[in-house]
Amino acid sequence: MEKRLGLSNNGASNSNSNIRGLQIFIADLRSSQQSQEQERRIQAELSKIKQQFTSSRKKSDSSNKLAGYQRKKYVSKLAYIYITSNTTKLSDILFGLDEMVELLKSNVFSEKYMAYMTLEILYEHQEVVNRVDDLVTAQLVKDLAGSNDDTVALALNFIGVVGRLKNGLAYNDDVITEVFQIIRSPTAAEHLKKKAALSFLTLLKTNIDILTGDLQRQNHWIQRILSLLDDSQNYRLLLSVLPLIEFIARYVNPSQCVRLIPQLTQILYKCLIGGTSQLAETQFPAEYMFANVPNPWLITKLVSLLSVLIISRSEISENRAGLLQASNIDTDNLGKLRLCVSKAIELGTRDVSDPMERIVQNTILFSLINFASKLDPTEEALSNSATALCSLLISSETNIRYLALDSLVKLCAISEKTVIDSVCKKNLNLICRLLNNEKDQSILRKLVDLLYSFTNVDNVKIIVNHLLKFILTSRTISDNKMKRDISVKIAVLTEKYATDTNWFVEISLKLLSISSNATNNDDLIWERLSQIVVNNPQLHKITCEQLVDYLNNNNTSETIIATGAFLIGEYANLITEKISIGELFNLFTDKYFIVSNTTKCMILTTMIKLYKFAPEIGSAVIKFFQLELNSLDIELQTRSYEYLKIIQISNSIGNKALLDTLFSGMPSFNSRTNPLLRRLGNLPDSSVNNNSSLWLKVNKSEASLAGSPERRDESSSSVQNSTSPLSSMSSNNGIAPAPPLSRSRSRMNSNVTSPIKNNGINDSYYSRQNLSSNWREGFTRSISHRQGILYSSSLIKILYRITNPDIQQMSILQVSLTFINQTEWEMSGFNTETISYQLQDSPSYIIQNVESLSSTSIMPHKRIEQKFNITIRKPFEVEKSVIFNSHFKCGGSVQFLSLKIGIGMTSTLVNNVEQPGMTLPEYIGRWRQLREGLGNDGEYQLVVRPKKSGAQDLSSSLIQIMKRLGFQVVEQDSISNTVFASGIIHTKSTGNYGCLVKLKSAISSDGDSREIEITCRTTSAGSLSKYVVDCINYAL
Amino acid sequence: MTQIKYMLLISRQGKVRLQKWYVSLPNNEKTKIIRNLTSIVLSRKAKMCNIVEFGDHKVVYKRYASLYFVCGITQEVDNELLTLEVIHRFVETMDTYFGNVCELDIIFNFEKAYNILDDMLMCDGSLAESSKKEILNHVKTMDTMEHNDHLDRVLS
Repeated sequence: MEKRLGLSNNGASNSNSNIRGLQIFIADLRSSQQSQEQERRIQAELSKIKQQFTSSRKKSDSSNKLAGYQRKKYVSKLAYIYITSNTTKLSDILFGLDEMVELLKSNVFSEKYMAYMTLEILYEHQEVVNRVDDLVTAQLVKDLAGSNDDTVALALNFIGVVGRLKNGLAYNDDVITEVFQIIRSPTAAEHLKKKAALSFLTLLKTNIDILTGDLQRQNHWIQRILSLLDDSQNYRLLLSVLPLIEFIARYVNPSQCVRLIPQLTQILYKCLIGGTSQLAETQFPAEYMFANVPNPWLITKLVSLLSVLIISRSEISENRAGLLQASNIDTDNLGKLRLCVSKAIELGTRDVSDPMERIVQNTILFSLINFASKLDPTEEALSNSATALCSLLISSETNIRYLALDSLVKLCAISEKTVIDSVCKKNLNLICRLLNNEKDQSILRKLVDLLYSFTNVDNVKIIVNHLLKFILTSRTISDNKMKRDISVKIAVLTEKYATDTNWFVEISLKLLSISSNATNNDDLIWERLSQIVVNNPQLHKITCEQLVDYLNNNNTSETIIATGAFLIGEYANLITEKISIGELFNLFTDKYFIVSNTTKCMILTTMIKLYKFAPEIGSAVIKFFQLELNSLDIELQTRSYEYLKIIQISNSIGNKALLDTLFSGMPSFNSRTNPLLRRLGNLPDSSVNNNSSLWLKVNKSEASLAGSPERRDESSSSVQNSTSPLSSMSSNNGIAPAPPLSRSRSRMNSNVTSPIKNNGINDSYYSRQNLSSNWREGFTRSISHRQGILYSSSLIKILYRITNPDIQQMSILQVSLTFINQTEWEMSGFNTETISYQLQDSPSYIIQNVESLSSTSIMPHKRIEQKFNITIRKPFEVEKSVIFNSHFKCGGSVQFLSLKIGIGMTSTLVNNVEQPGMTLPEYIGRWRQLREGLGNDGEYQLVVRPKKSGAQDLSSSLIQIMKRLGFQVVEQDSISNTVFASGIIHTKSTGNYGCLVKLKSAISSDGDSREIEITCRTTSAGSLSKYVVDCINYAL
Repeated sequence: MTQIKYMLLISRQGKVRLQKWYVSLPNNEKTKIIRNLTSIVLSRKAKMCNIVEFGDHKVVYKRYASLYFVCGITQEVDNELLTLEVIHRFVETMDTYFGNVCELDIIFNFEKAYNILDDMLMCDGSLAESSKKEILNHVKTMDTMEHNDHLDRVLS
């Protein structure tokens, strides 16, 4: 009797499949015991179906055509045959494909469903796709465009499930547009939108060109997709929209998504903090709770998207365009995010009895702890996370232990050394105890990884001893692969951290002696050891002595013999007090017959080297080689023959010159990177530095051998390299740190922060912005007025105010924007984005301290405010001023505004009323001075016709304008129709500039309007005067 | 972003009761995965952890009575515990639908089982719907429609 899967025990099975024929067929198959019997039943059924299908094809007469129900029944039987035979019967059912497509065209829902389901299962086979893809796609497009929601849902599901497999769906424009239509349609049912978002993601993953191929489409479509987030209470929709946005942020256009951070933070906050509190008003809808925790899927998806958008300090150097660094998130949101992390820790370490609830809590804990590293965590925060994780290590549940370890390993990879050390100190004993008691392979592996990350110079001996003891004694590790992995780790650790060379040799040899049989990894270990020994003369003797001890033992491992053969062959003369050459010869002869051919070859070479040291053993050696002339192995035979010949030749010449040349001492090795590092497996990068590596010594000795300072430099740079994270090791060779890194560092040091760290692409991002129509009005106004209306429509009014927060630093401007909802409806999903013209390569201005909006929604007739600072670093054209985008949703439609704020050179002027203005003679004196100093370089002239030609008194209105801009106007009556103004332009990097402007109005040459001639001189050569004139021109 | 590679339902006798592949793999590769996983998963003891590192990816499995639910997931991308929760949701949903589900229900009503799974997971195993109620509503609507289709056929 079948056992119930056992979650509940209510009610009987409501088997409500209506296809009786299928039920009988399945029951028949199950009742037949022998597989032959089953096979016969299947074959009989197949031929019956085949007959039905072909006969229905033949009869063109519509009355005799196969009825939909029959077709459905046969198709479902084919599907069952396919499933029950573990897909081996694919070729037997292919004949039914045409009928499946026929069934797909049916208008009866259950028939259509059966067709879609069967095709979904079969679509993983290329032969199926090749035969029916065109027909299926055509029907799919028809279904997508149809008005029946259920049919559309089936079609979307089909795309979502099979779209990633090899077929043409993602390249079919009709499919793509139809799916997108559903996403953007305001009337589409929610469950369709949800499916459409995931189907679209499927298509996009398969063919990213859908968005990257067409920039305009990209901008437009992404905006639409992002606006799906606006309904932040709609948890169902969020669940499927978040992965889509994450993909876009990751691979298509991150800069467009950064503005979502406040919104995402808000949702996460609502789920984690609101959802877990006991207060009734923040209660989470019960349908979205899972095991007493608010939707863990939603939380992990939010966190995963946020981790893409926020980059950690170590990632800045990588070319991650347009992402935000934690230090640039405004404090409000950063605080919320950090609060979420501590909430997760609190949840994760709380005691609960329900196992599912515990799993869910830990899911959240692990995903947030991994995310926490992005939030510029303090050391304290890091060690708190680590402590929380360590407390989970004693959990009785294996999964939790496994994941706690997994997170700890990751945490170590991103933490500073001091944090790791303190965690290690507290928990080393616990972890070693676990190592000895743990029975689960996966967990053991992680424990070893963790110990590996913990190791430093001080504890290397303890940890290595533990690991060694573990391989030697543990009975739980049955598989050799794991033993080998641990051996490799021990070898790497000893080399990296050993300060005591004797200990290094001792451990390495012990490691070699326990390796069971020669494997690739062990080869690497002994080869590495040999290289290090060769390079360090002080190790020659002790290593050889210890090797002899191992060799004297009867059951030594083959790797020890190989190491011995090589090293003793090299340095036999150093240990003659311990053992004579003759004895060594005997020792190797003994071992010769118990090793593999590769090692035998090595021993042959060792023999002739021994002969080189002590020719008196000659006869024995010759006898030995003669014996091997009969060897079956060609390599052994060849070697013996050649070595014999060498001995004969040197005997006949009478000196050992040939021998000495051929077998001269081994030169130092210069492979700097440890090949073992490549075999560490997928351990995350470790930031642990190695302070004293043996290889350092090797390189030094090598450099001093070569005696050239260049070599020494090189070696020290290679040491530097070996201190960088492991991953770069495999890329080999010491190259100076990549330029982007140093640049970003210097930027951090100078405390200049821009909200969007954007490499390169921003210039085009700036120019790609489509400004809203009539943006110019607000732009012009903001050049000439310090406050006013930036934008106004029937929906929204945006007011601006430009101030100088710090009178000492006039180059810093503060922009405050006020948004007023003009409608009777609530505006939701309000978010904004500031875009500066340039971010890299010494930008002219930078945007800082962008405050977050106090809320993401505005009630009717209410207002919200936002402030940010602009630091002007050097002169720039006013056209390149800041672009300010805002998105919001109002009355069901999505609104997007893109406006340029007129911040120009004149914005840094300040009209100081108390200071007396210049007199005319002073002004003329300076005017001349500038002329003499700079010639025409500092001057710019422009003739314009003022728009307001009706002005009665042009001069006085000009004076007004200039004063409003911040210039000081020279008070004079002697020269009419001319205005003299002066001012000081402030910039942060290039200093302050004096600026003189002369405005002369005259009747234009054609006589019917007035012209104004603007002339500007500045204390700087270059385009500054032009920039100033441009601003004045806008203001006129 | 989730990247579930496949979802398999394997019976204690080693028979595959349901399989869904979210990545395209050659047939022999699939057969190999099924064969190896069956032996690995069936041989693991009840107390062992539910995560196995398998080749280049991880496998999360859970046993419910006579059936093993096995999920191949992508390292560093997928959350192991969350996958267990997905499996659990799947079982819960089937349990409510069939009313105390058993292996036989899944065999005889395979199309329903697929239906529920499709409604839950789309596109590389992204969870499309976490609400049990919603999925069940949807499946029940489909049942009603199917029932009406059936009725129409009988009456006509």
